[in-house]
Amino acid sequence: MKRVVLLLPLGIFLVLVGFFAFGLRTDPTRLPSPLIGRPAPPFELPNLTRPEQRITAADLAGKVSLLNVWATWCTACMQEHPVLMKIATIGEVALYGLDYKDKREDALAWLGELGDPYLGSAFDEDGRVGIDWGVYGTPETFLIDKAGTVRYKHIGPLSWEDWNRTLLPLVRELKAEKG
Amino acid sequence: MKFLLGTGLLGCLMVFSGVALSEHPEFPFADSTQEHRFLELTKELRCLVCQNQSLADSQAGLADDLRKEVFRLLKEGASDQGIIDFLVQRYGEFVLYKPRIKPATYVLWYGPAALLLLGALALLILIRRRAKTPVIAPCGPQAEQVRRLLDQD
Amino acid sequence: MPWLAGTALLHSLAVTEKRGLFRGWTVLLAIMTFSLSLLGTFLVRSGVLTSVHAFASDPLRGVFILAFLAIVVGGSLTLYAWRTAKLRPSGAFSGLSRETLLLVNNVFLVVASASILLGTIYPLVLDALGLGKISVGPPYFNTVFVALVLPLLLVIGIGPAAQWRRQGWAALARQLCPLFFLSVLVSGMLSFALPNPRFLVTFTALALAVWVIASSIGYLRSQIETRRRLGGGVGSVSRGSWGMCIAHMGVAVSVLGVALSSALSQQRDVRMAPGDTQILGDFSFQLIDVKTQEGPNYRATVGHMRVSEDGRELRVLYPEKRLYKVRKDVMTEAAIDSGFTRDLYVSLGEPLDEKGSAWAVRLYHKPFVSWIWWGGALMGLGGFLAASDRRYLATARRRLEKETPVLTSPALT
Repeated sequence: MKRVVLLLPLGIFLVLVGFFAFGLRTDPTRLPSPLIGRPAPPFELPNLTRPEQRITAADLAGKVSLLNVWATWCTACMQEHPVLMKIATIGEVALYGLDYKDKREDALAWLGELGDPYLGSAFDEDGRVGIDWGVYGTPETFLIDKAGTVRYKHIGPLSWEDWNRTLLPLVRELKAEKG
Repeated sequence: MKFLLGTGLLGCLMVFSGVALSEHPEFPFADSTQEHRFLELTKELRCLVCQNQSLADSQAGLADDLRKEVFRLLKEGASDQGIIDFLVQRYGEFVLYKPRIKPATYVLWYGPAALLLLGALALLILIRRRAKTPVIAPCGPQAEQVRRLLDQD
Repeated sequence: MPWLAGTALLHSLAVTEKRGLFRGWTVLLAIMTFSLSLLGTFLVRSGVLTSVHAFASDPLRGVFILAFLAIVVGGSLTLYAWRTAKLRPSGAFSGLSRETLLLVNNVFLVVASASILLGTIYPLVLDALGLGKISVGPPYFNTVFVALVLPLLLVIGIGPAAQWRRQGWAALARQLCPLFFLSVLVSGMLSFALPNPRFLVTFTALALAVWVIASSIGYLRSQIETRRRLGGGVGSVSRGSWGMCIAHMGVAVSVLGVALSSALSQQRDVRMAPGDTQILGDFSFQLIDVKTQEGPNYRATVGHMRVSEDGRELRVLYPEKRLYKVRKDVMTEAAIDSGFTRDLYVSLGEPLDEKGSAWAVRLYHKPFVSWIWWGGALMGLGGFLAASDRRYLATARRRLEKETPVLTSPALT
């Protein structure tokens, strides 16, 4: 009995080391989205490039879509822009944008210069819609299925590898689902 | 900032007793209760950008926006729990500095008390065992010396 | 965490030194104290936690530190498990005795240390088990730590008065009850005089702090009396006794700092334009001007805030908001006027309009907050005094051993 008690500290310590080893491989600042598995939060915002039109959450449903949160003041967004252009050209998924806390003139100039990969960008000037979607940093990309449910969230700039390895297979899976 | 963090180190009860109405630059509070609620709530919420700071202290843009949301909800008459639920719905439980009490956090909240009980139990068993060994009073020529040494703190 | 474990170690060593008991437990505490220091190094440098104390987050370095931790701590604990069984317990003590009270002290301190560890790594554990990401912050630590420290304060007041080996309940009660009532009385008067919303906790904390101070002074007085009776003087009271009492009073002073500053602290978030004045208690803050200043690698907006007490000018404080040019980081440098009875804090927020003619300013008045640090200094002084007690010096020990052969019993070798 005494032996067991004496070995307890060592045992507890080894368990702790196990958890720490796990912790070293993950990023504590990344937050999983509580929206996953829930219907996309409703919104209605003006279209950035065609302000007389509105973009709503309903536009995302009916097909597999991506909602990419971006802004001109975000340097990482510039990083992922070429990847988004490629995704738009491939045409496997409907790509929408959410222009988060930006100035219209800056955003239009940005898209004009770099190209507009989006079927439409919702202009979220004050960031209220961003809050509803749990946006805490740009860029963030949401994957929405045909029923309008959020199925996946990618945090940070989207690399071509992220697209090929994670997003594309998911997109194909969701497309195969009965919508 | 460093000063605040330093005092927080000692785990002290840094609860600010919100005093009279202030002309808050952004939020026109209806009364001091509302201001107090706002302070308490934002202190217990975590900033998601500057993750080392509470919503009350952080100067990040998102913190600003979220404080506006909290104030808007307060004005609309939401309860403290309602405001917390609103934020958790969008950002998850990470945003709460005070973890919810649910099966996954039972060990966290009841652990210290359980450990204390365990310690008390171990202590009792130890004392019981030692009580069986007779306490031999020092005797003989050195008794006085021993007694003096033991009395010396 | 290492501080709490180290304190438990200090107290356990007192018993081991005096009576040769708890050697295995003392060894374990020593291992725990050092391990927690190493653990602290790991936690702040590896990026495993998001924390105010984390810097230089580097998972690769974290792997190295973890490996080092595993070897050093794992090795010590293995040695402990293997060799401690060989130690035979010796000596006895009854239910109420200084030994028991020191053990109670150990229980509280170790549970406190373990609780802080629990709260710190819990988010990591839940994440590893796939149970989601949560945060554990001040509300948890404050609740748990305060709940553990308050009963401990009670024990601090009782411990020194208890005799080694066996202490009679009646004698102890007779000695301590008057002090207990004194503490309740003083604290009651203070608590009613102070305006504060958390009456019960403040009252309890104040009462316990006064209790510790009163019982420490009482202990010193009885020590001096005992020495006088034996023919010595105040000077013959051992440094260990002085050290203990000063250290315990240091704890009480820190607790007073915490309790009073929590109860009496005032905060204002206001809009100020140059020329405006704000009043906080007896102090008035007048914003004279806000100027721009160039630093070596930053551009600062500096506020000039004149602080007066009861109409008399104290000084001018200069809170800054710095924009560091390379990384475009914005840092706020608060201006603090530290005093023995209060601290005043001014920090500059955002300009409230484009022209910069009004600013968001945060003002704090925190009474007695520096006592938290003074208490710590006292604890350190007490520890130093106790450590420099002649009994611990080699020559003194040898002389003692020659004069009193009863100490060289098999239990201690």
